[in-house]
Amino acid sequence: MPPVKSPPPPAPASSRRNLLLAAGGAVLVVGAVIVASLVFRGGDGDASETTATIPGGAGALFAGIPQDGAVLGSPEAEVTMIQFEDLQCPVCKTYQAEGLPGIVEEYVRPGRVKLRFAGLAFIGPDSEKALLHVIAAGEQGKLWQFADTLYANQGDENSGWVTNELLEGVSGELALDYDTLAADADSTAVLDQANAMATEAEEREVPGTPWFYVQVGDGEPYEVRPGSFAIEEFREILDDALAG
Amino acid sequence: MSDRTLRLCVAVTTLFGVAVAGYLTYVHYRPDSLICTGGGGCETVQESAYADLFGVPVALLGLGAYLTVLALVAWDTELARTLAAAVALGGLAFAGYLVALQAFVIDAWCVWCLVNDLAIVPLLAVLTVWRALVPRTPV
Repeated sequence: MPPVKSPPPPAPASSRRNLLLAAGGAVLVVGAVIVASLVFRGGDGDASETTATIPGGAGALFAGIPQDGAVLGSPEAEVTMIQFEDLQCPVCKTYQAEGLPGIVEEYVRPGRVKLRFAGLAFIGPDSEKALLHVIAAGEQGKLWQFADTLYANQGDENSGWVTNELLEGVSGELALDYDTLAADADSTAVLDQANAMATEAEEREVPGTPWFYVQVGDGEPYEVRPGSFAIEEFREILDDALAG
Repeated sequence: MSDRTLRLCVAVTTLFGVAVAGYLTYVHYRPDSLICTGGGGCETVQESAYADLFGVPVALLGLGAYLTVLALVAWDTELARTLAAAVALGGLAFAGYLVALQAFVIDAWCVWCLVNDLAIVPLLAVLTVWRALVPRTPV
């Protein structure tokens, strides 16, 4: 007769009690930590409390550099870096703060490289509203300053942070005519520019933002992938392009 | 399911957790390694005010919890099993809080966070509790 395998004995009551006590204790500790973190946080996560903080000297980084619509830098510059970005993208904001200033000072201001803004609006309605106003600011020669200031005021995705009040405040700070800006943002010409940027991104199969291309002269732009936003990474890319 | 099989399942699930929490910890410290993609979400969640708890990245806390469970699985005493289940249940409570934050406060979804919070952590909780209730296999 084959040996009968007996079922395992049930867990002793002491094991169950210990487990219950340990589990209850762990859940209580986690609950206490959550409550404490919420209390000490003081409700700073409320997107509706976001207020526009427009710094004095907004967009000063670009002062004295020629701009033509979406292009920043000397028209004579042989190398163009194309930047696909979404004004609601937090990583683009990081690039704007940590990567762009070094590139502008080292390559754009001396006239060696020019930058072309290619805005996308895939994150949501705030992206679209911001993008149309940024392109409209380009009609008044301050696209880059406007984008820079919006990034500095970036709110949570699609929280409604791109308010008319914010746009008017940024316009005032940059000495733009807000009525003209608002009218341009509503125009077919600006919408066509936004659509052209989206079409270009689609054709190039841009997977997300920020995403970069480098173009030498009239050649076909090629994709570049900096490992970080450190200037050393861009130096390697741009020096290589400049060397031909 | 035998204790040995359960132990293996707990270890494998924990290793998945280590991988996901490790990745999220990595991108927390290297945000520029991310790009914003069509779904959005990950960057928003990772960069939200809730990504840290008292200055410690939530992802790093998760990684610590998984490594603790892994150490407890290796220790493999009665106490270690109970503690592993307790850590996993505490993690389950915390995962529920994180999912609620994404749904109602941050209003953005991080796919890797959801994989962790809705799949790995609940599975680990079930397995560790189950194991704590199954008598140990004599060595």
